[in-house]
Amino acid sequence: MSIRNGFGRFRIQGWELFLLTALVVIMATNSALSPDYLRVSNQINLLQLSIEKVIVALVMTFVIINGEIDLSVGSMMGLAACSFGWLFQSGVPASLAIVIVLFIGVAGGAFNALFVTRFGLPSLVVTLATLIGYRGLARVLVEDRGISGFPEWFNALGQQGLVGPVPFALIAFAILFAISWVILHRTGFGRKTYVIGTNRSVADFAGIDTARHKAMLFIASGTISAFAGLLYTARVGAVRGDIAFGFELDIITIVLLGGVSIFGGAGTLVGTLLSILIVLNLRNGMALMNITGHIQTGVIGVLLIASVLAPRIDIARLFGRRAPLKEDVS
Amino acid sequence: MRKVVISLFAFLASTSFAVAADTGCDAFKWPVAREQALFPAAPAAQSGAALAVGQAVDFSLEAVDTVSFEVPPERAPAAGTFGATANVTVPPQGELQLSLSDEAWIDVVQDGKSTMIKIMTGIHQPTSGVLEIGGRPALVNGPQAARAAGLAAMYQEPMVFPDLDVAENIFISSTREGWLQNRGKLRRKARELIERIGMHVDVDRVASGLTLAEQQAVEIARSLSQDVRVLIMDEPTASLSAHEAAQLRAVAANLARQGVAVVYISHRLEEVFEIAHRVTVIRDGRHISTRPIAEVTSQSMIAEMVGRDVSNYFEKAPSHATSEVVLSVRDFGREGVFEDISFDLRRGEIMCMAGLIGARRTDVGLAIFGIAPATSGTMTYKGAPISVTKAAQAIDLGIAYVSEDRRKLGLAMSMSIRSNISLATLAQYLSPAGMLDRKRERETAEAYRKRLNIRTPDVELAVGLLSGGNQQKVMLAKWLNLRPDLLIFDEPTRGIDVGAKAEVHDLIREFVAKGGAALVISSDLPEVLALGDRILVMREGRQMAIVDNAGATQHGIIALATGQSGMRMAG
Repeated sequence: MSIRNGFGRFRIQGWELFLLTALVVIMATNSALSPDYLRVSNQINLLQLSIEKVIVALVMTFVIINGEIDLSVGSMMGLAACSFGWLFQSGVPASLAIVIVLFIGVAGGAFNALFVTRFGLPSLVVTLATLIGYRGLARVLVEDRGISGFPEWFNALGQQGLVGPVPFALIAFAILFAISWVILHRTGFGRKTYVIGTNRSVADFAGIDTARHKAMLFIASGTISAFAGLLYTARVGAVRGDIAFGFELDIITIVLLGGVSIFGGAGTLVGTLLSILIVLNLRNGMALMNITGHIQTGVIGVLLIASVLAPRIDIARLFGRRAPLKEDVS
Repeated sequence: MRKVVISLFAFLASTSFAVAADTGCDAFKWPVAREQALFPAAPAAQSGAALAVGQAVDFSLEAVDTVSFEVPPERAPAAGTFGATANVTVPPQGELQLSLSDEAWIDVVQDGKSTMIKIMTGIHQPTSGVLEIGGRPALVNGPQAARAAGLAAMYQEPMVFPDLDVAENIFISSTREGWLQNRGKLRRKARELIERIGMHVDVDRVASGLTLAEQQAVEIARSLSQDVRVLIMDEPTASLSAHEAAQLRAVAANLARQGVAVVYISHRLEEVFEIAHRVTVIRDGRHISTRPIAEVTSQSMIAEMVGRDVSNYFEKAPSHATSEVVLSVRDFGREGVFEDISFDLRRGEIMCMAGLIGARRTDVGLAIFGIAPATSGTMTYKGAPISVTKAAQAIDLGIAYVSEDRRKLGLAMSMSIRSNISLATLAQYLSPAGMLDRKRERETAEAYRKRLNIRTPDVELAVGLLSGGNQQKVMLAKWLNLRPDLLIFDEPTRGIDVGAKAEVHDLIREFVAKGGAALVISSDLPEVLALGDRILVMREGRQMAIVDNAGATQHGIIALATGQSGMRMAG
């Protein structure tokens, strides 16, 4: 489907159309089954409950399209939260602690980038190692304690509405989404992200500094993860060593469900956004129907398998999603 | 719509007709419904029939196919007729309407060859026409069905499992041996098959150590083990050295003698005259002619493939070389790879680099371009000494490199033609804030589509859907858009058909006529002699000589490249 509008040619691709359809079906079902579902407070609530993961999913979209993966995001969120708690407990003012934590995010991302780009190790291995490493650091910092009692303004940032009932994190997400969309789909940086993910050698031969590009993405990933970790801390109001544990899997699930190819080179941010809305609305609807969390997780898993399967079966043809062209015709 | 040349040369073994006769039919054939007018039905049918009866043993081969497509100008209707007759072109006997899938249609636009192979191996279905095997319409609806029918295709890149040995590779998909394989028996059978095709490969060797030609032999033996009756070889010698290519041609001829029908697709005319019995030319997805080899001359064949008279195709055009040196290389070397390369390249000049595979010509090109920088020697570019350690530096200096491997190094196949053309010059399309001007990108792509005659319905299509020749043009567009002073072409016409080849040659000549300098690495000697004002011959990482075109002969170059004067080389 191709629609002309002010942006020139704006394309809704097959898979996104499928996701959109799925979203509409889920929302219609939910509102039919539960009168509370469409209330503004519920809608904000369902977004807010996973807002940190969703923010990280934006950067993860870039990283995966670029042909890499960052498994350390969940641990980075945990490390950020624990560093913040530890700094705060050690007497550092919360505002300064926030700045320091963001730099820890930069450093953590740069550490991943160093091993991936300079030493040429696969990001799967590097970030698996830092997934363990950063989590370990986080646990060392706070040990078995829980730290809470953060300043009122900090907790309010996570728990109260900033504009009307809309909290800060949601606004931050909206802004980050807009920025990410423009970068990925309208700038040279975005184009390079796709080219490198499609074929790194081709990018090298075209004079693109692929190592620098990848490094920038890993640093962005670390920084945004630290930011998301802080948001999570503010919302929960306390930190523990296992905070944000296992979040990376939810984040990657969202991105892949959104149609981003695990092999790189394909996917869109609109797909990621639709996938986010589907996952959140599905979970919310099931929660309103008193379906337990374990079953919710199972349903999401089935959905993920379907999304991987879809390009290979006829649903894909029905919606016009083309399997990524890895082996071209001569 | 302008022409893209698709050529297909084919020959069929007579014994396969005998087999066909046994099963009560005259041939392997694909009657065509809509395009009957294209086929000279009666005489062809006769020749086929004659063959089917008599000459079971001798080497009189018959050719194969007829392909026809109606190519719609726009993408909208997924129409396209396909039909091919093997051996005999017959009037339509029945029409089987099947729809060609969307993907297939795109192939059809660009390339009849790929689609034909895909239809014959069951990957795609024809929209009209019937595939007949042994006189009966056959529904070849998948690779298994194709294999069961005795159809097999072999590509340039052989599919072997590097860690298995030759015998295991040959019987990789064989289920007849059961789960428990008798290794001794397997080896004996493998040895028989290898002998049958006339190659000498030890069946205990691990496949990763085999040469490309040997790997192809393994693949042929594999199809033989599955009782192949029609073997399609798609440019099997395109990436082989001359010696290996000769070996493989001998294998093909040997197979034909033993009763396997071989459809041999090639863009190298010399090969065709060496082995083919009948030649079929396809252009624009249409059947142009099928003739016995005796009635064909290389001039007539090229004319049919290109659709115009190209009598001067292999003739050297006048030189545009000026006295201004663009690139000067002195004592250039990369440790352990090549050494002591020294030459001057002048504005308007085409210098060709000739040599055998492994002569390290590409490495010299990559060193100039900065991908694998030189470790010794100096480079002077437009009068100033330079040292290039990154491709980005070379690009900034106006040096471009058209790489030999489109798939791995040249093009982002799943991305659009538009974004591939702007790839090396992305900075030109960025605003100060880094925003891409997609409208201007599109204009550029459209301009190159017209200028280079890139055949595509839309520049937004993925470049991987184009034919090889058109992909090559997209790659050229990418680098021409840089407006380079120095263009390094690495095998600029490998694996593309004669028509596209002529167009690429014209583009290179046009480029130097406008003041560029070109360094052309090529293994195709006629091409080297047709293009190069001077020819630099390399052998094993060393510069053997630089010869003027006027004094150069194929034999002289081969003698320098092999280090032995007088050695005969095939191909």
